[in-house]
Amino acid sequence: MDGIHDLGGRHGFGKIDVNEPEEQFHDPYEARIRSIVNAMSRAPDWNLDWFRHCRELIDPVDYLSRPYFDQWAQTYCAMLINSGWATVEEVSTGKSNGPGPQLPPPMSAEDVRAAVFSAKRFDAPIEAAPAYELGQAVRASTSVPTGHTRLPIYARGRLGRIANHHGAHVFPDGNALNEKNHEHLYTVEFEVMELWPEATDVADTVSLNLWESYLELP
Amino acid sequence: MTKHDSHAIADVHHELHSHLPPEPALRAKALESLLVEKGMVDSAAVDAWIEAYSEQIGPKNGARIIARSWVDAEFRARLLADASEAITDLELQQGHLIAIENTAELHNLVVCTLCSCYPMGLLGMAPTWYKTAAYRSRSVREPRVVLDEFGVGLSADIRIKVWDSTAELRYMVIPQRPAGTDGWDEEKLAELVTRNSMIGTERDLSKYVGAQS
Repeated sequence: MDGIHDLGGRHGFGKIDVNEPEEQFHDPYEARIRSIVNAMSRAPDWNLDWFRHCRELIDPVDYLSRPYFDQWAQTYCAMLINSGWATVEEVSTGKSNGPGPQLPPPMSAEDVRAAVFSAKRFDAPIEAAPAYELGQAVRASTSVPTGHTRLPIYARGRLGRIANHHGAHVFPDGNALNEKNHEHLYTVEFEVMELWPEATDVADTVSLNLWESYLELP
Repeated sequence: MTKHDSHAIADVHHELHSHLPPEPALRAKALESLLVEKGMVDSAAVDAWIEAYSEQIGPKNGARIIARSWVDAEFRARLLADASEAITDLELQQGHLIAIENTAELHNLVVCTLCSCYPMGLLGMAPTWYKTAAYRSRSVREPRVVLDEFGVGLSADIRIKVWDSTAELRYMVIPQRPAGTDGWDEEKLAELVTRNSMIGTERDLSKYVGAQS
């Protein structure tokens, strides 16, 4: 989708706050939301790409103006409502009007210790041979899916080079619809001269991780 | 049943825009109260996560890896070849990790333009600036200007590689070992390694050497 989240290369956002204090959370509610999300029960048909897509779909004004973890809270509220587990009234008041869904019990404090350093990976075996080889020139697709995708607008149609191959990873466009297909994943390196009309640093590059469906022969 | 439908979610967000409590802290409280009432979250587990964030999760984990890579050439080679495998010896984990090294001619900078992907297991919470529209939009387009803002003035002969984290691979920059640290042990070296140097928004760590020696 051509969403507000797809920010690479956009102009007008101003300076970066380089003097931000180094603590991990700047307000107790941030740590609370992050931790609630880690600990809560999840629907079996939720996954990382569905969450990302639900965050991308926040009203664009809210996306650009609300604090980060506040957006997480609203995204999970939207997911709960969408899955039929809560109503708008319930998430607004914090009071339940009916029993919760039939689910395994949520994470206990004991479970947290094992989950802190999770090594979850998203690659999987695949039978098909990779379509591209290291060093090969490829062009990023110009097709624009209406749903979730991980090919940023700024790379669409641009010519790059295969710099690395990472085996097969779950394809995010499908995963956001709860369809588990794996595709070969590559690092594709683009020269900045190819990406940006004003670029002058000929040796600088931008590398993206792109799935095979995002690529075509030049 | 979840309806994996973009329009349905956008509609819910529009409704929530005008219904949720007015402050982030109140919205968080409402969400937690509701989940507890519905048996979908155990507040003791939430507290345990908060404790883990304050005690176990943070950039010290990444710094240990960098310090080891500075003193152990064999480890460094393994880290560059397969970082996930290399760090299991340190009892650290970070899903699918890629380590990228700065050199005298090359500087690496990590960003996630589409959301906020970050090697949390090794660096802790991403700084707020990493998640802002300003950093996400500008890092891929004018990295030298961004680095200038962070006080990293790169001469024109140093190449920049920007890494946009668009998949479930997480990048960690290996900064250069500063001069004047010969003979230092790993623990002392790790004290020099900053969070920003592992993201690529800091380059020269020599200014911390005096404070340690």
